[in-house]
Amino acid sequence: MSSVIWYLYEFARKGWIEKFAGAATEREIVESPDRFRDFPEVIRELCIACGACTAACPSPAAIKLVRTKDKDSENGEGITYPVINTDSCIRCGFCAEVCPTDPKTLRTGENHLIREKFTILPAEKMFVIDDYLCIRCKKCMDACKVEGAIVEEDGSPMIDPSRCVACEKCAKTCPVNGAIKGIYISNVEGQKEVINLVVHALEDFIEARQDELNELQPEEVVELEFPAAEVMEQAREILLDEDITRDIIERVTDRLKLRIITWDDSKCKQCRLCVDECPTGTISHDEEKGVVRDSNKCLRCTTCYQTCPFGVAGFYIARFLLTETELKEGNILVTVKPSLLPV
Amino acid sequence: MIIPIGPVHPALKEPLRLKLHTIGERVIDAEIDYGYVYRGIEKIMEGKTWQKSVYLAERVCGICSYIQTQTFTETFEKIAGEEVPLRAQFLRVITNELDRIQSHLLANSTYFKTIEHETLFMYMLSMREMIMDAIELLTGNRVHMAWNVVGGVRLDAKEVHLKSIVDILDKFESQYPKYPQMFENGPLLGLRSKEVGVMSKEDAIKARAAGPIARASQVIGDLRIDKPVYRDHFDFKVIWRDEGDNFARNMNRFDEVTESIKIIRQAIENLPEGNIRKKIDIPAGYADNRNEAPRGEVAYMIETNGNLIKNISIRTPSIMNIDACVKYMFKDVATVADALATYASVDPCIACTERVVIVDEKSGKTCEFDGIWNVKSVDLK
Repeated sequence: MSSVIWYLYEFARKGWIEKFAGAATEREIVESPDRFRDFPEVIRELCIACGACTAACPSPAAIKLVRTKDKDSENGEGITYPVINTDSCIRCGFCAEVCPTDPKTLRTGENHLIREKFTILPAEKMFVIDDYLCIRCKKCMDACKVEGAIVEEDGSPMIDPSRCVACEKCAKTCPVNGAIKGIYISNVEGQKEVINLVVHALEDFIEARQDELNELQPEEVVELEFPAAEVMEQAREILLDEDITRDIIERVTDRLKLRIITWDDSKCKQCRLCVDECPTGTISHDEEKGVVRDSNKCLRCTTCYQTCPFGVAGFYIARFLLTETELKEGNILVTVKPSLLPV
Repeated sequence: MIIPIGPVHPALKEPLRLKLHTIGERVIDAEIDYGYVYRGIEKIMEGKTWQKSVYLAERVCGICSYIQTQTFTETFEKIAGEEVPLRAQFLRVITNELDRIQSHLLANSTYFKTIEHETLFMYMLSMREMIMDAIELLTGNRVHMAWNVVGGVRLDAKEVHLKSIVDILDKFESQYPKYPQMFENGPLLGLRSKEVGVMSKEDAIKARAAGPIARASQVIGDLRIDKPVYRDHFDFKVIWRDEGDNFARNMNRFDEVTESIKIIRQAIENLPEGNIRKKIDIPAGYADNRNEAPRGEVAYMIETNGNLIKNISIRTPSIMNIDACVKYMFKDVATVADALATYASVDPCIACTERVVIVDEKSGKTCEFDGIWNVKSVDLK
């Protein structure tokens, strides 16, 4: 009985009710240590929308860039800033480490302090300015928002690879086609293999049509179409990536200029002048077969074409263009014309 | 009679199916089923850059996560043919040994829980908490530390941190020695542990057991003594025992904790000055690397093209120990309860053990995985 009275007294007390109603901890129960790496904290105003954090994130769908609409002006774009999805963020702090702004847009504990000395951005491409094509307009320097990524050296802009975050903004603003090149860093051997594959395939394709070329008059042009599907298929097996393969083949064919040597045996008078002149031993003389040319060794230096008095060797120049057709693979347009070198 | 245990069972930490063949209650044989928590981390890593994949390698195991990143980064340093600064190597040693202590204490606590000794179970976990505090102080986080990178470590240890780690170790050592004594001298603990689940030296070699489980069966080997930094700068001895039973495996882990504390103290005393990180350019190539993990032996085989990971294969620490347990320790165990205790004593980690099973499409049978080079010969579709 006495305990019931005590409980009644206790519950009716004013202080108890106050405490019960306003129950809350006064401070954080767990104190996080100095170096604790929590979800990254985002400061929206500092973001330059370079995309380095989204490229660096090892977890899929943990971070993405969001753009707000600006209501005041009609066509104005609002600010762009990264948003962290806390359900899939693994709190490695890598996005904060690669963030190029100063001060940093993303912050996680102490870990974000270390960037400057190390190239740690896991980018697919490296950007290089071609000094020969550059017209020194310096539009890329205005477009680049990363401080110190494009520096001026002797009047021409240069990209500092340790600071570049590969956002491609400079390449998009550049008025000269091909002056700023994005080079794929990974699998250089594979890229070489693909380039060789394409060039050899094109050479074989054109040299198989020697009869057609031999009948060409000067200032006449032959247009051929090379179906690219098979080469694309082989290249994809080497590089394992559809987009990179297409990009590389496009760039190979865009600026490629091939010299084609044809060989007409019926005109040959066995004078053997070319055998002595050929620098690689491509052309050899045999007692039984006469003068023989082995096209695998040929450098396309055209010495034989300039030496031969009977016009056995022909010399043509081919240019290429990759076209988009309804098929996904597309064709390579080939234009061949006789060279204008004097004989 | 066959008694199935698992995949979900109160005595198992992680999902796995054990089928115990019994006569009466005497266990004479066992079978094992994997395949309940396969996550495919290697497949996620393929095609990602190596800078990112360090943080994914950490997620292979939830307890001994540190050694995974260390092996991963050392493999890439091997591909580049470079060494990280000595200070970074020492800091890696400190973290590695702290991680080993906490993993051993957790393994022993699980064993004590399976033999129903709740007191020691709680003692072990409370001792582990001190070490976790030390790890948190040094690296920032408790389990997934994100502390290793290719070329060194991410954060430098300051004087304050080293001093408080030494303080924590002093406190730890003042309390610790009584627990091994409790286990060694306790009569009931002895009845449940001694001469239960015996694995002889020959069996351990046949089963390719590794780590403390092999050393408890007299197979004396520790990959740490082959590592240059351990060999040149630290003085420690390899703990081994000759009984080969549950008691020996747990005592082996208890004794290794004291050895690890010795190594940490030496590392903090002799910590050299210098950089903690260095820039390393990775060429295309292939390398493999092994390391002594708390539970056994971890191996990474990586092929890279300089930027992306082309192929990766991980052999995680406890797979051979689980197989050794099933094949040799369950030969003659008195009761089913003892069989579960034996299973807990080998420190199994299922989540990191689950690797891919390769099934031949035509015949429908599982086939052997003979290295990452021949992966294309098997039709994976």
